[in-house]
Amino acid sequence: MTPPLTSRNWAGKTAAGLVLGLAFALGVSGLLAALLDVRDSFFSPQGQFTMWIIAPIWCAVLSLCFLFRSGPRAWLWLGLAAAAVWLTLFAVGSLS
Amino acid sequence: MKVRTDILRMYKEIHGWVGIVSGLALFIAFFAGAVTMFEEPLQGWASPPTSLSAPVPLARAPELVEAVLAAHPEAARSYDVHLETGPENPARVTWSQGSRRNPQVFLAALAPDSTLEVEAQAASPVAQFVDMLHQQVGLPFAHEIAMPIMGAISLLYFIALVSGVIVLLPSLVSDFFAVRVGKNVKRMWLDVHNVLGIVSLPFHVIMALTAVVFAFHDEFYDLQGAAFMDRGAPRAQMAPPALPSPRAQRPQLLTPAELAQRVESQAPGFTVREINYRMDREGTPQARISGRDPRFGLRGPTFGMVEADPVTGSLTDTTYMPGLQDAWGATITSFFALHFGSFGGAPIRWSYFLLGLAGAMLFYTGNLLWVESRRKRERKAGAVTQTRATRTLGALTAGVPLGCVAGIAVTLAAAKPLGIEATAGIHSAIYYAVFTGFVAWALVRGAARAALELVPAAALAFLTIPLASMAFIDIHPWSQPLVDAVSVALAASLALAARAARHRARHGPRDSIWSHRRREAVSDTPPHAAAHATAPERKPAI
Repeated sequence: MTPPLTSRNWAGKTAAGLVLGLAFALGVSGLLAALLDVRDSFFSPQGQFTMWIIAPIWCAVLSLCFLFRSGPRAWLWLGLAAAAVWLTLFAVGSLS
Repeated sequence: MKVRTDILRMYKEIHGWVGIVSGLALFIAFFAGAVTMFEEPLQGWASPPTSLSAPVPLARAPELVEAVLAAHPEAARSYDVHLETGPENPARVTWSQGSRRNPQVFLAALAPDSTLEVEAQAASPVAQFVDMLHQQVGLPFAHEIAMPIMGAISLLYFIALVSGVIVLLPSLVSDFFAVRVGKNVKRMWLDVHNVLGIVSLPFHVIMALTAVVFAFHDEFYDLQGAAFMDRGAPRAQMAPPALPSPRAQRPQLLTPAELAQRVESQAPGFTVREINYRMDREGTPQARISGRDPRFGLRGPTFGMVEADPVTGSLTDTTYMPGLQDAWGATITSFFALHFGSFGGAPIRWSYFLLGLAGAMLFYTGNLLWVESRRKRERKAGAVTQTRATRTLGALTAGVPLGCVAGIAVTLAAAKPLGIEATAGIHSAIYYAVFTGFVAWALVRGAARAALELVPAAALAFLTIPLASMAFIDIHPWSQPLVDAVSVALAASLALAARAARHRARHGPRDSIWSHRRREAVSDTPPHAAAHATAPERKPAI
């Protein structure tokens, strides 16, 4: 039986959601930019679109990160997700 | 729908805390935002009459432009020809100098004897001030400081939406449309809060997400640039365009009337409102045309725009042109249009106005609920009197919304007596004087008494708007009955609220932060006994 979730350990979870949520969302926007072939035209409509999707992804991670059982777990799983995205970016050669 | 109880309890607590931290700022953002839905009529209402001659007919615009460029060659960099003129926009031709954030605008007209008249911009800054209040959630800081705070509040707002929906899920079906008006006032406020939240949820999700982008887009672009941009590529030069030398051959431009006609023939349904002529870096003339088309979403708060060649009239960039943009352009435009309510014309504007007021009510009821449940929790824990924190929050819950509402009303009304003396600074000073006055009053008098006194005061504040209309009717012609009508309607609803508050103070539960009866009990009993006398019907605290 797992211990029930609580809002007491919010600080660690929130920090993970804020920092790693943004890192993850930025990584996804980079993948989308690579997919849409945005290159340096970040103010083109496609480029703007990749900027816009950062907000919903970041907000979703931040709202749901409380479902992790503890701060360290949130950092671990979100860190793995962010690492996966950024490694993919590195592999496809999208990083500057 | 079933949700694990520990998840429910956790999100309920999160909802309460993010709500109480962001609620009052969001109230200000939503009320001011609702007011900016009528930015154009407000500007028309507030702008003093100009001493310039009446705008020349559009056919004579080239003559006026010639005169402006001869007397003020710096205007050649960028000037505007207005197809629509009115009180807020009394000149056919305008140009501006200075920074983009703080421009000095000049209006030009032709006197009856065809000499050039120039005047610094006289359009009222008050609508702009309310818009700024909306963008900065009421914070009197510099833009660069206020925006990240606004962004943080928007993030809290999104968390509040998600947590609120999760908490409501198990009872969604049974509670939806059930507003139990009765003895249990807290139950009624909770029902109102839930129904407002669920019915306008899509609106709120859009507002939260777009606000996060509006707050952080520079940072997002910078991060993307740092991470993904090819650093080998040369950066674009941002130097201002060189002034065209007067002797250089200037290509023959179409007249504004011809250009507007060619644009409208390429985009039927689009109405041109303004043409901006400017020189690009190579000294080639460019035209940006703004206008509206109610069939499509618009990229600007009230207009869409298109780039055109001012020599041939052909459209050169339709990224933000309603109806002519590609799918990506239309998608980006829809994000802006959904925030600004700049689609569908007047019905959508009114809906957004009402949704904005409903949003403000959502945050107000949320605050009320927080204060009341905190009071109950403290009572269960053994406290007989309210703690200072609860009292302060109760006072702020009354003072901040009412102060914001009254401050906006008074500063709007002040536009008429101020006339051409009006500046954004004066309007800001008036607003914050009223706002801090209301908040201080609430803190000194306590929530219950302050509410009874401040709600009628806020109603009176709205009446100053039609009063100002009437008092200055001789020097400031009455042009926007809508503004006065909406003010009277808001004053009337506040008067109704005042009646309800009076009733509640007399007949509501005595230990509520809104009750008046404690004071009477205190008057002839020692403090300790009085504290018990406030709630004799309740079980003693354990």
